[in-house]
Amino acid sequence: MKKLLSSLAALALVSGAAFAQSTIKIGGIWTLADITGKQGSAAAQLAVEEINAAGGINGKKLELIVADDEGKADKAAAAVEKLATVDKVEAFIGGMASGAEVGKIPAYAKYGKVVVATGAASSAIVEKALGPSPGSDYYFHLHPWDYNQGASYAEGWDAIQKKYPRIQIKKIFLAYEEGAFGKSSWDATKALFGADKRYTIDGAPFKSALLGGGDYTAVLEAAKAFKPDLFLWAGYDADALPMLEQAKALKFSPGIYLGAPPGWPIGFGSSKLARNVSLYGMWSPAMNDTNAASKKFYDAYVKKYREEPATYFALLSYDAVRILADGIKAAGSTEPAALIKALEATKYASPLGETITFKSSNIIKHQGITRQKILQWQNGIQEVIWPFEVATAEPVYPFPAWK
Amino acid sequence: MAAKQNGNKGKHMALKRRTAILAALAAAATVLILLWKPTVINNGLQQAGLYAAIAIPMGLVLGIVHIVNLAHGEFMMVAAYATYFACKALGMDPLFAVLPAAAVTALLGWVVFRLTIQRALKAPELNQLILTFGIAIALTQVVNILFTSQTYKIPLEYVSASIDIGENTFPVWSYVFVATAILYAVGLRLFLTRTTAGKAAVAVGQNPRGAAIVGIDVNRSYGLVFALALALVGAMGALFLTKSAIFPQVGSPYTMKSFCLVAMAGIGNIPGILGASVLLGLSEQLLRAFRETRAWADIVFFVLIIAVILGRSVSWRRKK
Repeated sequence: MKKLLSSLAALALVSGAAFAQSTIKIGGIWTLADITGKQGSAAAQLAVEEINAAGGINGKKLELIVADDEGKADKAAAAVEKLATVDKVEAFIGGMASGAEVGKIPAYAKYGKVVVATGAASSAIVEKALGPSPGSDYYFHLHPWDYNQGASYAEGWDAIQKKYPRIQIKKIFLAYEEGAFGKSSWDATKALFGADKRYTIDGAPFKSALLGGGDYTAVLEAAKAFKPDLFLWAGYDADALPMLEQAKALKFSPGIYLGAPPGWPIGFGSSKLARNVSLYGMWSPAMNDTNAASKKFYDAYVKKYREEPATYFALLSYDAVRILADGIKAAGSTEPAALIKALEATKYASPLGETITFKSSNIIKHQGITRQKILQWQNGIQEVIWPFEVATAEPVYPFPAWK
Repeated sequence: MAAKQNGNKGKHMALKRRTAILAALAAAATVLILLWKPTVINNGLQQAGLYAAIAIPMGLVLGIVHIVNLAHGEFMMVAAYATYFACKALGMDPLFAVLPAAAVTALLGWVVFRLTIQRALKAPELNQLILTFGIAIALTQVVNILFTSQTYKIPLEYVSASIDIGENTFPVWSYVFVATAILYAVGLRLFLTRTTAGKAAVAVGQNPRGAAIVGIDVNRSYGLVFALALALVGAMGALFLTKSAIFPQVGSPYTMKSFCLVAMAGIGNIPGILGASVLLGLSEQLLRAFRETRAWADIVFFVLIIAVILGRSVSWRRKK
């Protein structure tokens, strides 16, 4: 009996080890209660299943192990520890909020495994914590840094004014939420648009509904008095519709009304108020008509999960798995030095409508996307209006006066 | 005796004089603000209405059941979610959901009271706080799991109603909260002074043991008051949905604000909650109206609480 048990135990150990050898484990860390994390992890799983269905990587199956950072730095650090030591993953993907991402960095550095990060835009917090090459060479950052975003907006509005002379922007007003996100947006706006005095900039803070606010009358009155050509607000999805309703109540209709939240509330596009509201982003379902990779991803996602990807973070997570898998295939291993070298040669046609390669940014060596897009809600759909090479519609100008 | 009477009369006169001076100062300040920034009064009063309408039910529970319900805002959040999905399913306006939302939260309140709070009434206050805090977390997490953290809002035309006077545009929809707060204050006063159940609740609130001796079912009164408070907060959940987007944590800041307003007003002082809300709403809007003071709008809340509680403490010591 003892012999039989020992044999069974040995068999279990051998088969377990064999299974482990035939699987490449990657760890994904997101804030799962947030829609970006929920859909990000779902999109990453979709990529894993597609890769496995196509034969895996070099004969091995890919396995995604998901951990929740709860949007907190300490939980994020614990998630890295658990994935690295208990699950023994070979590489990491994921991330959204900079505040949580910064908590992962010491643990990432400790294990030195490759990371393909999908979020974290704050250069002052995350890029600074990563530090320069070679110490941060394991980190491949897909999402643009905040200064990349700001520069692309300035470039975009310049290009739009040049192409459409009827659109003229002289005065810009930024309504920004009182937290770190809003304040960094305000600093970036002043630096990028106010630097050469081509634009007159003004701004005022508001308390986001997400933090117990929700009354925007004071900030909208200040904006109305300033008479801006471009009014933009940096807050959260909870602010989107109430701010429009209050703008309508105050009869405030600037030439361009633009929102820059990380996501939009469900059904925003179907509201009459959303008509011709502009926004910043990376992707929209409208791109399915012009981009085959976008359509392929969209159809597969909707088929599997029976819902639309609500934000571009789903696509970034899908891309992260795809890029990592291509890198492992090219390197022939998950050994960090070989994998980093393979990833440096990445040339990946993303459903986001651009080819991702990795270049140096202000501090780190491996920065992926550097440009965001300017979009506009038209007839309930987010249409891309810039960059022109991926545009899906012409801009509607001016933002219509309230009736 | 005569000297004592003269002294009292003198004190009474001084108090009257002080009240008259304060009233005159308040009136002068109001006129000045009206001339200088006319929208401040309009916006401030509407904000005050929102604060008061949410805080009054908490004041009722604290005044009679003597429990600080830290899940107060979360019950409003649950009512707002129920309203949202009912409106989406039936295609109706949130205003038609005010009474059903009140009924649903009243029922939920009764069940929660019987299952949890009733068992903690004689427990130390810290245990009661932990209990209601736990209920708040449970409600938030359940909603988060069911509906994620994504926000929901029903776009409504009428919430953008406004009036033009001269060069100024005055949004008016949020006066619905002012009307609700006044209705709550008057309605509760009538309920507590004119109805048998209300009088019993007051008696229970003042002296539960005495009330029990004269045959009042204390737990039933507590449960009734708790359910009534949740009905009021549930109705506010439906109204709140007209103005605000909803998400799992939307109620939490209102729990804190309501508690502080109740503390400012004094336990059981429902008209006091109205006054404290007006003071807070106007102060916030006044500070938000000027570039130099915008960042102070949040701090004024804490300054007012500290000032009022300190003032009350000093006055209590003097009386002693």
